[in-house]
Amino acid sequence: MDWQALILSLQLAGVTLLVLLPPGLWLGRWLARTRFAGKSLVEALVVLPLVLPPTVLGYYLLVSLGGASPLGRWAAQALDLQLSFNFLGLVVASVIFNVPFIVQPVQRAFEAIPRELTEAAAVSGLGFWQTWRRGELPLAWPGILSAMVLTFVHTMGEFGVVLMVGGSIPGETKTIAISIYDRVQAFDFAAADRMALLLLSLSLAAVTVSFFASARLATRR
Amino acid sequence: MMLQVEVEQAQPLPLSGAFRCDSGELLALVGPSGAGKTSMLRVLAGLMRPQHGRVQVGDEVWCDTARGVFVPPQRRHVGLVFQHYALMPHLSALDNVSLPLLHLPPAERRQQARRWLAHVRLSDAQQERRPAALSGGEQQRVAVARALAREPRVLLLDEPFSAVDQMNRQGLYRLLADLRRDLSIPIVLVTHDLHEAAMLANWLVVMDAGQVLQQGPPAAIHRAPRNARVADLVGIQNRFQGRWVGPSGQDGWGLLQWQADGTHTATLPLLTVRDKRRIDVGQDVHWVLTSDALTLLERPPGAPDEFAAVVTEARPLGEITLLALELEALPGTVLRLTLSGPQRLHIEPGRTLTVRLDLGLVHVMPVRGR
Repeated sequence: MDWQALILSLQLAGVTLLVLLPPGLWLGRWLARTRFAGKSLVEALVVLPLVLPPTVLGYYLLVSLGGASPLGRWAAQALDLQLSFNFLGLVVASVIFNVPFIVQPVQRAFEAIPRELTEAAAVSGLGFWQTWRRGELPLAWPGILSAMVLTFVHTMGEFGVVLMVGGSIPGETKTIAISIYDRVQAFDFAAADRMALLLLSLSLAAVTVSFFASARLATRR
Repeated sequence: MMLQVEVEQAQPLPLSGAFRCDSGELLALVGPSGAGKTSMLRVLAGLMRPQHGRVQVGDEVWCDTARGVFVPPQRRHVGLVFQHYALMPHLSALDNVSLPLLHLPPAERRQQARRWLAHVRLSDAQQERRPAALSGGEQQRVAVARALAREPRVLLLDEPFSAVDQMNRQGLYRLLADLRRDLSIPIVLVTHDLHEAAMLANWLVVMDAGQVLQQGPPAAIHRAPRNARVADLVGIQNRFQGRWVGPSGQDGWGLLQWQADGTHTATLPLLTVRDKRRIDVGQDVHWVLTSDALTLLERPPGAPDEFAAVVTEARPLGEITLLALELEALPGTVLRLTLSGPQRLHIEPGRTLTVRLDLGLVHVMPVRGR
């Protein structure tokens, strides 16, 4: 068992979720509430990481974040930061490829809140944050919860993008999914087995818990 | 405290009209679905900003597009009961009613919410339940309690009785009548049920296609609708066609020739009705009669205001019977009336009876430009 890789994956998933949640909530809610001309294009861009091959996504991220790219050069000069082949690069990539996993469930959750309810809150004198805390957040919570779980679990398991952008540097970019691949390449099936099973159980447990929680919330209505 | 409203809008949906409603009065906006009633309510609540308009309550101006004034719903103190109640499904009845009381400390908030829920007669056990565990009538009461907890300057109700069964409806009518007496604020009710409007409201505003067509006390509108559309909208069944013949010679009275659709027989009845000097000689007109103006007699006609008619339909509906009678002099012309009491027991389709029209109650309307 490559514990270092497991801890790295957990850290990556946690940081990704933390970074992505606030803008994801905002974007999902905005898409649920607003009608505008280019909405379909924005929605398509949100879904794009879901349909692109991870290697294609990883390739473009590498090209645009790498040391030779304008963005990479600027980060290195102005901020003294490297955006590829390190943990920070993984976080940036991971945030981007998880956009659909957080935005879509959040958008559906907010779309399901009847407009009347937020209007009733406004007429009752509730301001934006009061409406958010007393109405929107609890009502959208099942969707937000499943978005968080999906994002976390998906980050834990992502392989292609991570390999393209991060390589396989132990303790820096070698996540558990890459460690499994590494073990298989070395014909160490016993270690690959343990890690694969761990990832499988973890994912199954997380998704089951989120479904169970959503169902319970739904019946409480 | 007077509520004064003026709206003039072409986009995104046409909406225009003006009305006022004083404290303790109940104004009913009536009309078919899509008439703009709910939009009007949304303008009052601040959920919709009209293109041009003005809303004033007492000396507070809530909206004045000419001066760029628009007070958001949070600062209007409006009690709004939504058509489908719009209760928060994840909150108990008590927590729902606490929402407009968030400015109070928690203990006082709950105490006040309980007081309002008790006011609409919800038991302590019901107060702890979520909306899904309450009946339609109970949810309705929670919605009313939440609106009242806002301590509104104006109470707005959007089709409040549409989803409530007949038995609960009677209770809610009483509740509304009590509120009107106790609160002494303007109350605006949106409904498509004319009986409801006539029973509860002291002022009716008839709307169609975004326009206010006519307004006044319910009885006045029933007696004298401005045009055929209003007559249809307020459910006047006895609407006929005719031609204005001119003054009858007797002061204040004129002659009306009763016509059926397209038929021009020689024996058209001539009626002597009130002349308000609004109609040109020879003009085609619509005219209406409320069912109060119809009397059924079981003898042959003996006066100019009495007509022989055959019963074509007699539909018993519990305590009353709905009757349709076809006029012998004007085949195809049907009079409708409701009958109660012993007379209805022996009236059957096929019988010829006499209908007496109270011609003093005939209301004549010009047919508009066609």
